[in-house]
Amino acid sequence: MDYAIDLNGVSKSFGRFKAVDGLSFRVPRGAMFGLLGPNGAGKTTTIRMIMSITAPDSGTIQILGHAMDRRTQNRIGYLPEERGLYRKMKVIDHLYFLAAIKEVSRDTARQRIQGWLEKMELKPWLNKKVDELSKGMQQKIQFISTIVHDPDILILDEPFSGLDPLNVALMREYFLEFRGRGKTIIFCTHVLEQAEKLCDEIVLMARSKKILEGSVKELKRRNSEGLLRISVNASLADVNSLPGVASAKAQDGQFVVALQPGVNQRDFLKRALDLHTVEAFSQKEPDLEEIYIDAVRKAGMEETRTIE
Amino acid sequence: MNGKKVFAIARREYVERVRTKAFWIATLVIPLLFGAFIAIQVSISRKTGGERRIAVVDLTGNTAKPLADELASLEAKQATEAEGRRGPHWILETRPLQGSLDATRDALRREVLAKKINGYLVLDSERLANEETDYYSTTVSDFIAQTQLGSAINRVTMRQKMEARGLPADLSADLEKRIDMKVFKVTQKGESEEKGAGILAAIVFLILMYSTFFMYGYQVMRGVIEEKSSRIVEIVVASVRPTELMLGKILGIGLVGLTQYFVWSLVAMNLSLPWMATMLAGGSDLGVPRIPISMLAYFILFFMLGYFLYASIYTTIAAPFNTDQEAQQLAMIPMMLILGGFLIYPAVMNNPSGRVAVFFSLFPFTASLVMFMRTAVSEPPAWQILLSVALLLGTTALLTWFAGRVYRVGILMYGKKPTIPEILRWVRYSPGKAAQPATRAS
Repeated sequence: MDYAIDLNGVSKSFGRFKAVDGLSFRVPRGAMFGLLGPNGAGKTTTIRMIMSITAPDSGTIQILGHAMDRRTQNRIGYLPEERGLYRKMKVIDHLYFLAAIKEVSRDTARQRIQGWLEKMELKPWLNKKVDELSKGMQQKIQFISTIVHDPDILILDEPFSGLDPLNVALMREYFLEFRGRGKTIIFCTHVLEQAEKLCDEIVLMARSKKILEGSVKELKRRNSEGLLRISVNASLADVNSLPGVASAKAQDGQFVVALQPGVNQRDFLKRALDLHTVEAFSQKEPDLEEIYIDAVRKAGMEETRTIE
Repeated sequence: MNGKKVFAIARREYVERVRTKAFWIATLVIPLLFGAFIAIQVSISRKTGGERRIAVVDLTGNTAKPLADELASLEAKQATEAEGRRGPHWILETRPLQGSLDATRDALRREVLAKKINGYLVLDSERLANEETDYYSTTVSDFIAQTQLGSAINRVTMRQKMEARGLPADLSADLEKRIDMKVFKVTQKGESEEKGAGILAAIVFLILMYSTFFMYGYQVMRGVIEEKSSRIVEIVVASVRPTELMLGKILGIGLVGLTQYFVWSLVAMNLSLPWMATMLAGGSDLGVPRIPISMLAYFILFFMLGYFLYASIYTTIAAPFNTDQEAQQLAMIPMMLILGGFLIYPAVMNNPSGRVAVFFSLFPFTASLVMFMRTAVSEPPAWQILLSVALLLGTTALLTWFAGRVYRVGILMYGKKPTIPEILRWVRYSPGKAAQPATRAS
């Protein structure tokens, strides 16, 4: 099958530091794909290798069925995490410039830019200098520049950082619309909540390695085992001290309990009923954050960093 | 290498720069300043016209009168010869000795200080016999007038000496005539008279080339750093290769330089040069300098070659850093090289085919300035010019390669200032051979 992006055993070191270690994954065409992990996990390096900005030390990367070349480069839209604009340029000139380096003809660029500026209500700012725009507006300009060449693949590195909730919602709408047209989106973030809402497939990275991959639904189903939501008349310490509990946390007036591997749910509930008054009890579908923490633990890595 | 993308980058660099007020201010103000400077010089030289009222204490008794006549006839001659340029108008007041010489001088000193007279002259036969005479004034830098006065005294005393020995008076007029030696520049094409204007033009061009190397090299450096500090660079390198970005930038800024030259040369050829030529030659006939086409061609050639060389050095220097200040220290390197190539010019002028001139015109880091100078004042052998160009091209290619490697890694480096060994490691590090396919042009 033809994939939008296909990574095979990709590694990259900077001096002695291994930024990406034997990474393989495939992004199906038309997917909303999440490349997730905490800061420093190797996401940005991976994306830069996909973009041919840096070269991998070993492994292969295929984009739309072949190695990166000029034509493929023009079919990708990339919004880097480190993004800025030429401050002194006029908005319209800047957009033309960014279209030109993607080899979009001026006429085509004009049509698309006009359309997007109208949609984003930025038309009055056309002849202003980038300097005079608010940060949110600059982000919108950057977004337009990412899609002005109507790419088949969109790679977005932390696209929501620095945006207010209203603009986050707006952006999300654009992403979904984009995807509705059969385009592939790779969404790269450390904010797992966002990814959970948007992505259908993910790869989780930690410490330069892939630790988990699959569809979000499948991952949730597979990981729901041993995770309970319990409403009980007891303190968090009491719940934590119940036999068979691996970890417990308070959430919405209830407790979310993760059981130790191999502990039977029914046995746990019996004990709990013996000791406390249990008001409600249900199986909990894990969120990505919990899956991630669990995966890190299973991978035998000490992930001390907290995930925002 | 994708021409379209390089063009898009170069176009942005060019348009954004040429559009700024700063560019036009620099482009128009610099020749204006040049012009104003020359105008001031000219007006000062015109001021040599004007009254010089001096007192003469004539101890010889027979020199003051012929001196006044000599100065008057000189003034009359100048008025007919050079229109608009008038020499000083002399008013000589003969003063008798009032008691002792010292007492007379005391009185005259007071007059000078009270600005009643510009100065006073003491003509003493004993001192004149020793080929000396004394002039006292508050202004001692009025060179043109002083020289005129001095040579007038000379001529007067010479005539007196001739008369004393019974030589005919008209002989003196004959003796005062000078032989004018004309200098011809021998070239392959023949001989052409060199009136000094060609050398003057060469120096002006040299200064121009030297200062634009600085200006535009520095702009390349600033441009690279600005792209990094504004974080636009990653968006750009997602679409173009770093080498394309680098090349486009250097080309675009170089074209800005040529545009500025074009405007300047229009202005300069019309105004500054003829003025300056007449000015510096002190009014004597230099001829309006005609800049030979070959000089212009060599200028453009060596400007381009030199600019590319220094620009690639400036790019290398800029890439690893995030602020101008951090890069400043290393920016000394190209600065010293450019300065060196410029400061050597007197040696090159004195002996354009000497060992020093030949060496520095081949040494790539000074070649552009020195070889240009050599072609302007002499006719270096063709093989030397070709070798110089070849060495410049070769070094530039090598440096561009080096710069490209540092640039590629450096532009994405943020945070701590890298050390030089670290930068050198970037150059050695080769992009993944296994994974990275050779660039396919499509």
